[in-house]
Amino acid sequence: MDFVCAPAGIVDARWPKQGMKDMQAAGFSAVMLDASLGHPARLLEKGKPEPGMKAFLAAAKDSGCCLPLAMAPRLLPETKREDLAGRIEALAKETLADCAAAGCRKLVLHPMLAGIARGALWDENRAYFLRLAEAARAQGIQLLLTNDVRSVNGHYVRGLLASGRAMRDMVDALNEAAGAGTFGCCLDMHAAGACGQDLYDFIHEVGPRLQAVLLTDTDGDGRKQLLPYTLAERGQSEADWLGVIRGLRAIGFDGLLVLALRDTAAACPPLLRPALLAFAKKTGEYLAWQIGMEREIAKYPQRVLFGAGRMCRNYLLNYGKAYPPLFTCDNNPATWGTEVDGLPVKPPEALRELPEDCAIFICNIYYRDIEAQLREMGLRNPVAYFNDECPPRVVLEKMEKRG
Amino acid sequence: MELSVQTKNIVEDAHPEAGFQAMRAAGFSCADFSLNQYLLNLDIYQERLNGFFSQSMEELEAFFRPQKRAAEAAGVRIHQMHMPYPIYVPQASERVNRYLWEEVAPKSLRVAKFFGCHNIVVHGFKLREYLGSEEAEWAQTEAFLDAMAPLAVECGVTMCIENLYGGLGGHLVEGPCCDAHKAAERIDRMNEKYGAEVLGFCFDSGHANLVGLDFEMFLEALGPRLKVLHLHDNDGLHDLHQIPYTFAKTRENRASTDWDGLLRGLRAIHFAGTLNFETAPVLTAFPDALKMDALQMLAKIGRYWAAEIEKDAMG
Repeated sequence: MDFVCAPAGIVDARWPKQGMKDMQAAGFSAVMLDASLGHPARLLEKGKPEPGMKAFLAAAKDSGCCLPLAMAPRLLPETKREDLAGRIEALAKETLADCAAAGCRKLVLHPMLAGIARGALWDENRAYFLRLAEAARAQGIQLLLTNDVRSVNGHYVRGLLASGRAMRDMVDALNEAAGAGTFGCCLDMHAAGACGQDLYDFIHEVGPRLQAVLLTDTDGDGRKQLLPYTLAERGQSEADWLGVIRGLRAIGFDGLLVLALRDTAAACPPLLRPALLAFAKKTGEYLAWQIGMEREIAKYPQRVLFGAGRMCRNYLLNYGKAYPPLFTCDNNPATWGTEVDGLPVKPPEALRELPEDCAIFICNIYYRDIEAQLREMGLRNPVAYFNDECPPRVVLEKMEKRG
Repeated sequence: MELSVQTKNIVEDAHPEAGFQAMRAAGFSCADFSLNQYLLNLDIYQERLNGFFSQSMEELEAFFRPQKRAAEAAGVRIHQMHMPYPIYVPQASERVNRYLWEEVAPKSLRVAKFFGCHNIVVHGFKLREYLGSEEAEWAQTEAFLDAMAPLAVECGVTMCIENLYGGLGGHLVEGPCCDAHKAAERIDRMNEKYGAEVLGFCFDSGHANLVGLDFEMFLEALGPRLKVLHLHDNDGLHDLHQIPYTFAKTRENRASTDWDGLLRGLRAIHFAGTLNFETAPVLTAFPDALKMDALQMLAKIGRYWAAEIEKDAMG
């Protein structure tokens, strides 16, 4: 999984150097080539001069920043301009050329809705995407379609490719016409969040077609694009992180994770922004760790667990069959000699008998203390953290009783 | 096309005649009987079972006989009713869930039969968080529906699953039965299995608006499986159950709920059922002196919609 920072809210297209520096200083080596920075929807709407992408591309080149993914400009969902389809297509072609020059291999495209009759949306968009396909193939660039919203007098509802089923069907139809792998899919959590979509379902439907995910927090209004886990109420995030992590883990996602925090970053005073971006990087790493949990477990030939509580039970429920642990251990002597769902519980001293390539997965929230304990014991085994905040399923004792 | 409205906040047990007469006077010939108000969802979540459904069927029929007679006298038909919900609570005790499955649900079906009502709205289980996927969640709902199906056949009642929402903090998000294609396949499969219309769909416009469903596409995918409606409006953020055309989001002040899409969808599937308003909060929002006007306004919207749907259907 590669990690990309979306520059909206951080980089000004006219003076991009500072924002680019801030992202790099925070540890982001890859940035999204977001052509909406140079061609903002609000300026397109009003027909006003746009700054263009020249300065951004030059700053990216100077800084040595990698641009693995681009996004073509689009109109606002509530646009009143029904005459701009040609302009948007021209900008998509321009972005495609920028991609080729910058070594960018994936370009995200939004469906076009404005000015197209409802019954013609599918065919017109299919034709639009196919018109871009030939140039994309020639340059070795994959076109990623993204889920969208349409506006009902200011209220966002699901657009043409909002459902996983519609996305899958469109991508498959396009690839059949243009050649396998020409098209893929990018999940935009911003659009999906506005419509409260079940992201597990979306990801499950599109499966391996999914090449990139825009990670962001948003609410039912759909106007905000915030740093993950910052839009919360009653102590709970308003974005479907459980669904997205479960879904990406289930399909073994290994594409691009794009961290999009436009409004959080723009609202943050510039002097604080470096600290915000460093935290954003950590947040992205956490999400990548959660998504890659099963891959981490599968990495080792053998494993034991440390902890004999609920986290251990959730490990066994979700991964016990595919990746059975040899045993678990616990610091509480009362648990020694007992079993958790059939798994023997041993004292930590039993870990000294392990072969060196056997990983110890800590299944207890005192991760750091236990890791220090293991190191003090002089154990050289790999130590990893298991976490059950987003497991595929949750142990639910009452439901088990009902059978 | 007939018009219907929820009985909650209109019909009172102490003197049901007045409520049903008021409904009829306002222009409604059908009612959505609010059976769920006899065991409230908040009480179920808190495991406070009031014992209402512990009564025998004879006792329940005796309790509901005045309502039935009052409806008949007013010329109001009980077209649909709402089973108490939730019908399964993952965190609740075995006692509570057993009561919901073994007492509340079967007796609700029998009460529907007593009223001569052929549609009862049932909520799917909300278990995605625990079971990991909508498919696994549906399997549990289907197990419940399977358990009730023989009785539904016996009672001549169609159980209607409804598009629901869930919550993430303050954000209302997609809940059970928000995929019309899946719902259609499941309804067909179940009805084939029982050789009867044991399962149908209740489209809830307010819930659909909260999670940005495309009304027209959703209704087209459901087709004839759509049996009943819960029509009401909201701001797209909260489940307000208000009068349609109430909310706007831009300076142009046009309705932010896709009522045109609803009409197109109903027209496309040749819907000839009952337009039912699930708008109990409207009756508490307006002062007593304006309640009848509010009810009449709802009926007027219903008549307008019926004409729009039928006009185009005719030609």
